[in-house]
Amino acid sequence: MADVVMPRLSDSMEEGTVLQWLKAVGDEVSVGDELVEIETDKANMAYESDVAGTLSEILVQEGETVAIGIPIARVGDSDGSARDGEKDAASQPAGPVGAGDPPAPAVAKASSGPVPPTAAPEAPADGDGHRVKASPLARRIAKERELDLTKLQGSGPGGRIVKADVEKAKAEPVGEKGFEPAATPAPAAAAGPAVETAKGEISYEEPSKLQSTVARRMAESKATAPHFYLRASVDMSEAVSGRAKLKELASEGSVVPSFNDMVVKACALALREHPRANGAYRDGRFELYSRVNVGVAVAAKDALVVPTVFDADRKGLRQIATESRALAAKVREGQITPPELSGATFTVSNLGMYGIDGFSAVINPPQAAILAVGAIEERPVVRDGEIATAHLMQVDLACDHRILYGAPAAEFLARVRALLEEPLSLAL
Amino acid sequence: MTTLRMREALRDAMAEEMRRDEAVFVMGEDVGVFQGAFKVTEGLLEEFGERRVRDTPISENTIVGAGVGAAIGGLRPVVELMTVNFALLALDQIVNHAAAIPYMFNGQARVPLVVRMPGGGGHQLGPTHSHSFEALFLQVPGLLVACPSTPADGKALLKAAIRDDNPVVFIEHESLYGTRGEVPEDGEAEPLRFGEAAVRREGGDVTIVGLLKMAHVAEEAARALSHEHGVEAEVIDPRTLRPLDLDTILASVRKTNRAVIVEEGWPHGGVGANLATLITEQAFDHLDAPVQRVTGADVPMPYARRLEQAAIPHEEHVVQAALAALEGSI
Repeated sequence: MADVVMPRLSDSMEEGTVLQWLKAVGDEVSVGDELVEIETDKANMAYESDVAGTLSEILVQEGETVAIGIPIARVGDSDGSARDGEKDAASQPAGPVGAGDPPAPAVAKASSGPVPPTAAPEAPADGDGHRVKASPLARRIAKERELDLTKLQGSGPGGRIVKADVEKAKAEPVGEKGFEPAATPAPAAAAGPAVETAKGEISYEEPSKLQSTVARRMAESKATAPHFYLRASVDMSEAVSGRAKLKELASEGSVVPSFNDMVVKACALALREHPRANGAYRDGRFELYSRVNVGVAVAAKDALVVPTVFDADRKGLRQIATESRALAAKVREGQITPPELSGATFTVSNLGMYGIDGFSAVINPPQAAILAVGAIEERPVVRDGEIATAHLMQVDLACDHRILYGAPAAEFLARVRALLEEPLSLAL
Repeated sequence: MTTLRMREALRDAMAEEMRRDEAVFVMGEDVGVFQGAFKVTEGLLEEFGERRVRDTPISENTIVGAGVGAAIGGLRPVVELMTVNFALLALDQIVNHAAAIPYMFNGQARVPLVVRMPGGGGHQLGPTHSHSFEALFLQVPGLLVACPSTPADGKALLKAAIRDDNPVVFIEHESLYGTRGEVPEDGEAEPLRFGEAAVRREGGDVTIVGLLKMAHVAEEAARALSHEHGVEAEVIDPRTLRPLDLDTILASVRKTNRAVIVEEGWPHGGVGANLATLITEQAFDHLDAPVQRVTGADVPMPYARRLEQAAIPHEEHVVQAALAALEGSI
């Protein structure tokens, strides 16, 4: 019998939510089969089984959230018995008999199979008719105290409810009839009757895992990274005319780089020359990265994710454009994977398409800076004492002053501007 | 009280009973002139003479058979077999005769026979000299089975065995012959009754039952559990397996809710397997975890030193088993 545990699907993942079981109890599972869909702090992922056998038990139901490493299901042999060499030590005598010794005769295994559901008709069962695992002692105490075992979380092996769990439940406030767990997340509250306040009726929404992560990380960023902001106005006239030419020349179906792709490329080239901007202040040290990976903030359904263009300094504009579109499409379709959302060393956030002149962004921790990009507008400018027009774009660089100081940040931003104002340099 | 080694305590038990009762005599391979393969019968030939301390040919079934006959005829023979393994040659006499005759003849014939035999590993004597067959003899109705772990218990139980009218398989452990301990002298203490377990250490977290050498390993493990894990184990030495003082064990399990059984014998059908069943049957509602067993490896005893050591339970295995029984509770 093998436990399937909540996997760590991203660096920052601490817990995961089971969205959907893709196999049912009793189904045969092969290595590589998609077993369960899991919502992490970054994305929804189909998790593939790394064990083969029969899905014998689902321990975490759809919609439930558990920490990584917690068993979420059990997979056993087709006949339901445990397999040799698997972590079922609890049913084998401890001591010298065990791993590394010759396999025990078959008779030893006969006792380690799953308990038939009919074994104890008086035992409480969960909604699906599975027997609740509890020690005989825990069962007896629960019966005496009229506690509902199905409401308790077991801390023993394989989630078995042991005496300590029942004692704990006893110690907590008990309702009039039986034990009502206080710790259960309460979606019921959201559905409760609306109360009229000065603000009208209040409705509540539970944030998704992703939204919770955004909330946590943004608050953490503003609270710990001392932000300061540099603003520059970039003359995008050359870029605008250059892109128009590219568009004319482009064959049907080929990708024409967007202005944002140019910004990504310009930042990447400038980051290569300014290592502090391509780093992080972490644990009291400057972390400087050898790769330049630019994250591009993309609005997803009711959320914000930042897919990564890896090694953007070494990629051509067309490749950056192609990758950015593919990543954005994946975000929209919910197909983005944690590796594609990890590893960025800098972030570009662009709200120009909404006609926003400019804005101050929150740094994506632990990065050193984020560039906020506004809309390109044709505006009057003064050149050589004459009023002329130019396509101007405001960019705002938010910097973590713990690693990126004013003057180096200004040099970095000036370099970004220079590159964008001479867009031919981006093609080099 | 005097401090004796286990082998001296056993010798004293035989000597005292031989002085007390003319019917008691000793026989076995090399028990006389050579004074026993493990020197347990040292000095007996000199004191009691050839008539009561008899060297025999190497023929285990015959030796035990002669003992069965002598016992039926009114004597109280103490037969020594050189190791537990050699007792297998005498299984016919032990199981089919000694154990069965009182039953077959409705008590008209008694077999007050003691068959002493050392077992256990740790001395690189290989698979033909090192096994632990407590479970084998425990299975036979009609036999009493003793398995002392201290010199005092060894002496008291052997005296009780000699005085008992039932056939007794008296299992000693080769590694314990040199163990020293306080032992009452003749007349200082009553012979121990069979079926009285000893609580070697009191504790409220987990019950550890260990027999023979494993009674000592269980105590070491209990100390480690206390020092390193803050777990207070109760250690019980059953001292005799039949009759078994199940009441003491069950009372402890009802207190601690967890049990670990340590034996040197094989896992399947072992002392622990049997005791685990008894505990589960009679204290089911008091168990907070499955009964854990720590046993010898499921192999013939290896000769190579490291393999042999790897096949025998040690303190750390008992600690692991106790912690497994406590998972979720500490």
